Order: sequence, then C-alpha cells, then structure tokens
Amino acid sequence: MVRTENDVVRAVYAAKTDPAAADAFVEQYMPFVRSETVKFTRAAIEAGHEDELSVALLAFYEAILHYEQGRGAFFPFAARAIRNRLIDHYRAERRHRGHASLQETGGEDGREFGDTLPDTRDGIADSDLRLASRQEIAAFGAQLAEFGITFSDVADNCPKQDRTLAACRRVLDHARSAPELLDRLVQTRRLPVGELVLGSGVDKKTIERHRKYLVAILLAFTNGYEIIRGHLCQIAPQGGRRTA
Amino acid sequence: MNYLVLETHPAYAVLLDERGRFVKAANRGYRVGDRVQDPVLLQAAGRAVPFRFAAAGGALAGLAACFCLVFFGYYQPNFTAYGTLRLQINPEVELALSRTDRVLSLRPRNADGAALIEGCDLAGQTGAQAADILVDRAFALGYLEDGGAVAVDVLGGDEEWQAETGSSVQQVLETHYAETIVVYLGEMPPEPTPSPVVSPTPSPAPTPSPTPSPSPSPTPAPTPVPTPPPTPAPTPAPVVWDDDDDDDWDDDWDDDWDDDDDWDDDDDDD
Repeated sequence: MVRTENDVVRAVYAAKTDPAAADAFVEQYMPFVRSETVKFTRAAIEAGHEDELSVALLAFYEAILHYEQGRGAFFPFAARAIRNRLIDHYRAERRHRGHASLQETGGEDGREFGDTLPDTRDGIADSDLRLASRQEIAAFGAQLAEFGITFSDVADNCPKQDRTLAACRRVLDHARSAPELLDRLVQTRRLPVGELVLGSGVDKKTIERHRKYLVAILLAFTNGYEIIRGHLCQIAPQGGRRTA
Repeated sequence: MNYLVLETHPAYAVLLDERGRFVKAANRGYRVGDRVQDPVLLQAAGRAVPFRFAAAGGALAGLAACFCLVFFGYYQPNFTAYGTLRLQINPEVELALSRTDRVLSLRPRNADGAALIEGCDLAGQTGAQAADILVDRAFALGYLEDGGAVAVDVLGGDEEWQAETGSSVQQVLETHYAETIVVYLGEMPPEPTPSPVVSPTPSPAPTPSPTPSPSPSPTPAPTPVPTPPPTPAPTPAPVVWDDDDDDDWDDDWDDDWDDDDDWDDDDDDD
C-alpha cells in the first residue's frame, strides 16, 4: 500500500519505465481517476460516461509519464492532467454535435438507427478474423518477448517524426530485399545493424535509437504474420524513399 | 485509418496503424485483435511545448504584475504630477506635485517668479518645505516684507488631496511667519481700493429719514419689510448706519447723546 508522498513518487517513477508497475499503480488508484472523472462529468460513470473514464485513465497514465518531482505533489498534477485531457476530449467531440448517433432510437418503430442500416458485415467471418488476429498477435508478442521486447516497448520506441519513420522504412525495404538479413535476425536475435546501415544508407544512430521498433517491424515481415502484414497495407516497397 | 489492437492495459492499449506506427491510445473497451478507428492517442512525453508556453505565459504575467505593482505602487504616486501648488507673493510660481506631495518641477508664472526660483532646486521636497524655502527666498530678495501676504492655491488632484496639501503648506508658513505675513489659502484677495476722501462739509447733515424708501412695487401686501421703529420724537437723530461707511467725518461725532445726558447737564450747569 502506497502511503507517503515519497512512496507515491517512487511508485510513479517505477511506473514510468515498467508497464507492469504502471498497470498496478493505475489499478490501485482507479477510484481516484473515477472520482476526477465524476467531478468533471457530474454524473456517474455508468450513466454513459465510460468513454470519459477511458480518456481519464489515459490522462492518468500520461501524468505518470510526464511527472517530475519538481512539479509538486503527484495527485494534484494528475488531477489537473485529467481535467485538461477531458476538456480537450470534449472540444474534439464537439464537432460531432448535431450528428445523430447510431445508438439513438428514432423512427416509428423506435429502433436504433444502427439497426435500420443494412448489415453488410459477416459476423462469423469477423469473429474468425478477430480470433485469428488474436492468435497471430499473441505469437508475434511471444516472439518479441524472446528479444526482451514488449508491445509497449515498441510503442515507446516508435519514431514520432515522419522523417525518422521514413528512414526506418528504408531499412525495412532493404531487409525485405535481402531475406537473409531477416533470417539472421530470427536466428541470432540480433539486429544486423552494419548491413542495414550499408544497405539502406540510414545513419547508424537512427537505427540504434529505434532498434526495438525495427526489430518488431522486421519480424512482422518474416514468415508467419499474414494478418499483420495485411494490416500494414500502407507500407509499400520503397515507401521510405518516396516520402524522404 | 484503421488501427489493430495489439495489447490492452487498464489505462491504455497498444495499437498498430496501417503505416507501421505502434501507438498507445485510450483503451475504450478494446480487445486484442480488434480493428478500431479514431482512437484517443497518447500525448508523447516530449510534447512539453504547452508547458513551456504556459511557463512563458506565467513568467510574462508575473513580469506584467511586477511592472504594474512598481508603476502604480511606486512610480505613479511619486514621479507623476498629480496636482499643482501655486504660490503668489508678488513673484508667482507654480510647483508640480506628485500624489505623495513631492515637488516634481518648478515653473515661474511671472518675471519675478523666474528671479525667485533662479538656481533653486526643490525637486524631492514636500510642498510645504518648498513653499517655506520660497517664502524665505522672497524675504531675502526683498519681494516680501513684514506685513506682506502670501496666497497658496492648490489645483488638480482630488478635493481631499487639495485640502491636505493646502492645509499643510498653510500650517508650515503660519508656523514660521505668522508674526510677519498673512497666509491666504486660495486666490490672493484683491487689494483694498483706496477709499475716496470726502470733505467734511456740514451741508450733508443727516436728514432724518424716518422710513426707508419704499420699494417701487406699489403692492400694498404686507411684506416683511422692516419698518423703522417708531421714533418718539422727530428730532434729527444721528442714525447709526452712518457709522458703517468709511466716511470718517461723522465718526468723531459724539454719539452718546442718547447714552447719557451729560450735555444736558453741562448746559444746565452753565
């Protein structure tokens, strides 16, 4: 049980780098997040404000990541972050005002608007696809774990700027053009940095800085991850060069 | 753009977009394998620009507040003119005063005033101190002599400030020069015009005007016009109102004809 402010700060700093610690911290202070959300919505979460709670939880996680001890106590900082994020969320949602929701009831028979639309989806196929995706993602995560990488690590290591993302695509393009590099990556569990630098022309520092991301994206283009590769439809060959 | 949900946590979910970006977003009840659109993405920790803007804005606001505090709390009361103190001796000078009664500038209003303040630096003195110094200089330069008069007129500012400043100046001057000069608060009163010399001719003897001239209005209404008291005898009574004017010819009269009857006694004795 976290009791003093120092313990809280210590737990926050642990949660910054450890996803498991972050999950535990968020679970522990879920009542605080709910309370801050209710203060903003002035209504119970169960009264249709689950979306606001999810945004508030994300804001609480952002507060963990952004918190510095010099900014004062953590919980006032987190409360302010949650409130600001909810305000942003409401402003973003404002553009949808005047639009009817598919969940709204209307018409003569009182059915939801969504029910009146023709259902073009194949529920069984979707369920099968979701199940297959889940299995493929689980396998992908397990293979990443062999590299000591989690999806959270990859997300943290993902390039933020388009220019860097384009450089990483050039590395991917080169690796796809030389399948032996991908095989060596799977076998040795080491990124062939030298060959990638030489083949792609990307700076070594860029590759080293985004090593976890490159490992994940190169692994996704090895054999066995058809669904994920199909999802990455916008990664065309030589795409990096086009956008560079 | 579609996002593939890769991992879910209590506070966020890890999504993969179609361009190969792995992102964290709010977990709006997602399940692994879902394809979602329009997620609420995590704001990167490096997005500290709003905080910098906020800090810069706070610093600017603080600076503005400090500036206002210095300007309105110190500079304006001490270094901006709030009113003027006009000193009329024969030389006439005008002093610009701050809200805190500090002399900011000195300006002559006539040639003698220019001579009076020549080489005189009164900046920073209070209005009363400056007036004291100027009156002293006026004595020294011969503009003011015993029995002279000084008028102190305060203009501008609010009424309370005018009253306080004027009374303080008057108090200081009266303390120092009460025996020698007269201090007026306000405009210098006009000098008394010399009264016309009237020769004491005997002809304009006081005629007994028993009644004041009636008003031209012929209305007989009983207006509260003071009627003269009934005189017991139509003797040429020396009326008292003659004493009010400055004609000294009748002041020497012995008005005590009705106070005592000595004259009668003298006559009788003779």
